[in-house]
Amino acid sequence: MKVEEAPNPLAEGLHDYRVADPAVIVIFGATGDLSGRKLLPALYNLAKQRSLPAGFAVVGASRDDVSDDAFRKHAADKIHEHSRTQPIDQRVLDAFLSSVSYVKVDFSKLDDFRALAQRLQELDNTRHIPGNRIFYCATPPPTYTMIAQQLQAAGLNTGEGFHRIVVEKPFGSDLQSARELTQTLQKAFPEDAVYRIDHYLGKETVQNILAFRFANAIFEPVWNANLIDSVQITVAEDIGIENRGAYYDRAGAMRDIIQNHGMQLVALTAMEPPLAFEAGAVRDEKVKVLHAIRPLEGDEIARSSVRGQYTKGWVVGEQVAGYREEKNVAPDSETETFAVMRLFIDNWRWAGVPFYIRAGKRMPKRVTEIRIQFKRPPHLTFGREAMQEVDPNAITLRIQPEEGISLKFGAKVPSAGIRIRSVTMDFQYMTSFLVDAPEAYERLLLDCLIGDPTLFTRADEVEAAWKLVDPIEESWRDGKPALEMYPAGTWGPPAAAALLQTDGREWHRP
Amino acid sequence: MSTVLKDEPELVWHANDVKMAEVVQALGDVRLKFARAEAGDYEHAHPRNCVMTLLAVSATQAEERRALRTCRIIGAQHPAQAIVIREDTAARARAIDAWIVTDVHRPDTACAIECEILTLHVPGAAANHVSALVDPLLVSGVPTFLWWMGTPPFGRAELHDALRVCDALVFDSSRFEEPYHAFRGLSRLISTAHHKLGLADIQWSRLRPWREAIAQFFMPHDRRPFLDGITEIGIDYAGMGRGNRIAATMITGWIASSLGWRLQRATAGSGGVVATRYTTGRRSIEVRLRSVPKEHLANGELSAVRIGGIAGGTTFRLEVLRDPDRPRGLPAEPAYRSLLTSGGEDDAGIELTKRRAEWHRDVLHESREALHHTSTGDPPGESMPRHPVVFTGERRRLDTQQVLLTLIQIGDGPALRHVQQVEAEDEAVLLLDLLATGTHDRVFNRSLQAGFDLMRKM
Repeated sequence: MKVEEAPNPLAEGLHDYRVADPAVIVIFGATGDLSGRKLLPALYNLAKQRSLPAGFAVVGASRDDVSDDAFRKHAADKIHEHSRTQPIDQRVLDAFLSSVSYVKVDFSKLDDFRALAQRLQELDNTRHIPGNRIFYCATPPPTYTMIAQQLQAAGLNTGEGFHRIVVEKPFGSDLQSARELTQTLQKAFPEDAVYRIDHYLGKETVQNILAFRFANAIFEPVWNANLIDSVQITVAEDIGIENRGAYYDRAGAMRDIIQNHGMQLVALTAMEPPLAFEAGAVRDEKVKVLHAIRPLEGDEIARSSVRGQYTKGWVVGEQVAGYREEKNVAPDSETETFAVMRLFIDNWRWAGVPFYIRAGKRMPKRVTEIRIQFKRPPHLTFGREAMQEVDPNAITLRIQPEEGISLKFGAKVPSAGIRIRSVTMDFQYMTSFLVDAPEAYERLLLDCLIGDPTLFTRADEVEAAWKLVDPIEESWRDGKPALEMYPAGTWGPPAAAALLQTDGREWHRP
Repeated sequence: MSTVLKDEPELVWHANDVKMAEVVQALGDVRLKFARAEAGDYEHAHPRNCVMTLLAVSATQAEERRALRTCRIIGAQHPAQAIVIREDTAARARAIDAWIVTDVHRPDTACAIECEILTLHVPGAAANHVSALVDPLLVSGVPTFLWWMGTPPFGRAELHDALRVCDALVFDSSRFEEPYHAFRGLSRLISTAHHKLGLADIQWSRLRPWREAIAQFFMPHDRRPFLDGITEIGIDYAGMGRGNRIAATMITGWIASSLGWRLQRATAGSGGVVATRYTTGRRSIEVRLRSVPKEHLANGELSAVRIGGIAGGTTFRLEVLRDPDRPRGLPAEPAYRSLLTSGGEDDAGIELTKRRAEWHRDVLHESREALHHTSTGDPPGESMPRHPVVFTGERRRLDTQQVLLTLIQIGDGPALRHVQQVEAEDEAVLLLDLLATGTHDRVFNRSLQAGFDLMRKM
C-alpha cells in the first residue's frame, strides 16, 4: 500500500519547484556519445537551476579504464562542448564535478558490479543518500539485458530507497524482442521502476499538445470526425544518417521514427481526455488509441504505405551522397529512409478520418508538425468566386522548429467587394512566455529522479506500437510495396503524393 | 537569457507638447510600417504578438534609464508593449513630451519582433492620473503590469488611480526609501486593493534561492519530521537598523506562516540583534536576527540562515551561507559614509540625512548661475549652466552573482557541503521571473503580513 507523504509546506509557492530526494545516478556507457552529448550537460544544467538536491551524486560506469579525475575532465569537456547554456559557469561546474566519480565496469563481470555496489554504499554513507539509485543504460540496446541481470545478481535492484532503470529507444526491434526485453527488465525491476525514454515526449511542444487540447474548452468540441477531414503528421530531417549507418541500415525509418515518435504523436493527437495529468491516466488513454488503430494487413499494406530511399541530391544548398554511398551501409541496401502510412482509428471520435504519417531523412528541411485539416464549410455563403482563394481551416501544431501553433481561417480582403482569403493566426512558443524552455533530457532526467513516469513509455504502449508495425515490416521485406528512390532534398518519392491524391488530398508543405 | 544590449535603440518618433491621441496615432504608424516592411513576399502582414503591457513609472532620470534598459532586455525576447512614464516637473503645464524607440530582433526560429518603447515625460498633474494617460494604449486581453520603480506612494490617490487599470503592481522593497513606513503601507495595500490585483516584489524574487535551499533540505520524506522539530533559527543580514531587516523578517514570516507558528514576542537589542520567540503547540522556537558587517552585500541582504532542531531523537542543523569565501568586511567608517547611505538607520536618522542632503542640493542649485559664471568666465546671460544633475544615493547596488553554501549535519553523520551558484540576476531577469510565474502569490502575501507583524513587535 502506498503511504501518503506529508507535504512540505515550505515548498508551496515555489513555482515549478521540483527537487528530487538525494540519489545516485549510475550512467552505464558514461564515456560514450549519449552520455557526453546529452546526459552530463543535462545534469549540469539541472545543477545550474538548483534542481539537484544536496547529496546527489553521479557515478560513471563503462569498460574504459579511467580514473575519477580523468572522467571528471571528460565530463567537463563534454559539458563545455554540448551544454545548451553558455558560457559555462565554472563554479557550478566545479560543484557538480565534485559529485562525480567513476567505476570501471565490464558488463560481463559480476565482480565489477559488486565493486560498483560498494562504491554506492560509500556514497550513501558520506552524502546522506537513503539508498536511492537510478541506473541509466546509455549503452547499445543489446546490453540492456545483461546490465539488468548483473544488477540483479549483485543485489543492486533492491534494498532501502528506490531503484530505477532507464533504457533508451529502440525498445526491441519487433514485437517479440520487445516482449523479451520487457520480461528481462521486469525480472529485476517492477514495471513502475522501468523508465523507457523517448526524448520526444520531453519536448515542451509535445507536452503542449495535451495542454492545447485539454486546457481549452474551444478545441475539444471540434476535435473529431464531425469537423476534421484528415490529420497529417510530418517528422522530417534534413540530415542523413551521419555516423549511425550500422544501426540505421538494420532499423530504417519505420523502426527508427514511426514506431516510437510517430505513434506517440498519433496517440497524443487522438487520445481521449485523461482524468488527470498523471502517469497512469495519460498512458492508459494513449494505449487505448494505439489499440483502436486498424492494423494494416495483406494487400492493404501496399495501398496504404510508401517506402523510399534517398539518392544523391541537394539539401540546404549542399550536394549530398545517396544512402547506399553512406558509411556502414550495404551498397545494395533495401532499407527505407522515408516511410508513409495511412491509418484509421476505429473509434467513435475518429471513424473515417485518415491519419497520414510521414517520416524521412534528407528532406528539404528539418520539421516536425501535426496538421489538423478541417472540412470545408457546408455552404458557400459568399459564392464560389469569392471563396476561391480560401483553404479549409487548419490547425498546425509545430513541434520543431518555430515551435508554436497556427490557425488558418478565411478573412475578407479589404476592398469594396467581397473576396475572402486565408490568413493565419499564429502563436509562437518561443516568444509568448517569459521563460526559456528546458531541454528534453533535463525534464526527463528530473522526472525520473522525482519518480514521475508520465512522459515515459510503458511496456504495453511499446508492444501495441510494434503490433501495428510488424506486419508492415514483414510485407516490406517481401517487396510490397516496392522501395522507391527519391533525390535527397525532396519530400519523398512520387508515390507519397500519389497516396494522398487517391484520397483527393495533398500533402501540406511545412 | 542574455542581458547584453549591443546597440542603442533607434529613435523613430519624438514630439514635444503633444496630446495622447497623437502619441497613439504615432505608435500605430510605427507598428504598421514595420508590419508592412516585414511582410515581404507574403500577401498579408505577419500578426503582431504581445504578451503584456509593462508600464514603468520613474521619478528620476536614473530610474528612467533603468526602465528603458530593462524594457529593452525584456522586449528582445518577448513581444511586449513597454511604456515608461516619468514625472517631469520642468515640463510646461498640460504638455506631454513623447519618444518612441524601437529594437528589431530576428530570432533564429521565429519571425522578427519589433519592440517599441514609448517614453512619456508628463507634468505633475497628469502624472497623478496615470490611468487616464495610458488607458488608450492598453492592449485588450493582455495583462498590464505597473512597475513602480521607487517607493510606491502607498495610501495616496495617484497610486490607487494607476492601479485601476493594472493587473499587478511590481516594486522592489529593497529600494524603498523609508523601508519601515513603506512596508507598513504595503501590508495595508494587501487588504485594501481590488481582489484581482497582484503584488510582486523583486526583493521576494531575490529571496527565492534562499527559500529553495531551505525547502530543499526538508524535501526527502525521511527529513519531513524535522519540520516539527525546529527549535532555533538564526538569520544574519547586512546593514544596521530595522529598515534593513525586511528580507530577514520576510524569511522569518515565510517560515512561521508556512509552519503555523504564532509570534509571542520580539525584542530588539543593541548591534542589530532581534530576539524573537514563536510557539506552535507546546513547543517554542527561538529566532534571532543579527546584523553583520558585510561590505560586498547591499544593506538589507541576507548573509546566512541557520536552522537547528531535534526530531525523533536525531539532531539536525542546516546552514545556508552566502558567499562564504568572501572575507568579512571591516566596520564601516564613521560619519560621512553612514550619513549618505540612507535606509539603514532608524527613521529619525533617515529624516535628518535627507534634510541635510536636500539643503546642500538646494544651496548648490540656487547658486548655480553664479558658480557657472565664476567657472567659465562668461559674462552673465551669455551662456547658461547645464541642467544640474543631482546625485542621489542608490539604495541598492547592481545584483551580483552569489554563491550559496549549504551545510547539512544530521545526527552524528558527516557534514555535507553543497554549493549552489545563483547567477547574477539583474532587475530584468528578476522582473521576468516574477511576471512569468504570476503575480498572485499568496505565500508572498502571507509572508509579508507575518513579517510585518514581527517588525511591528520589535
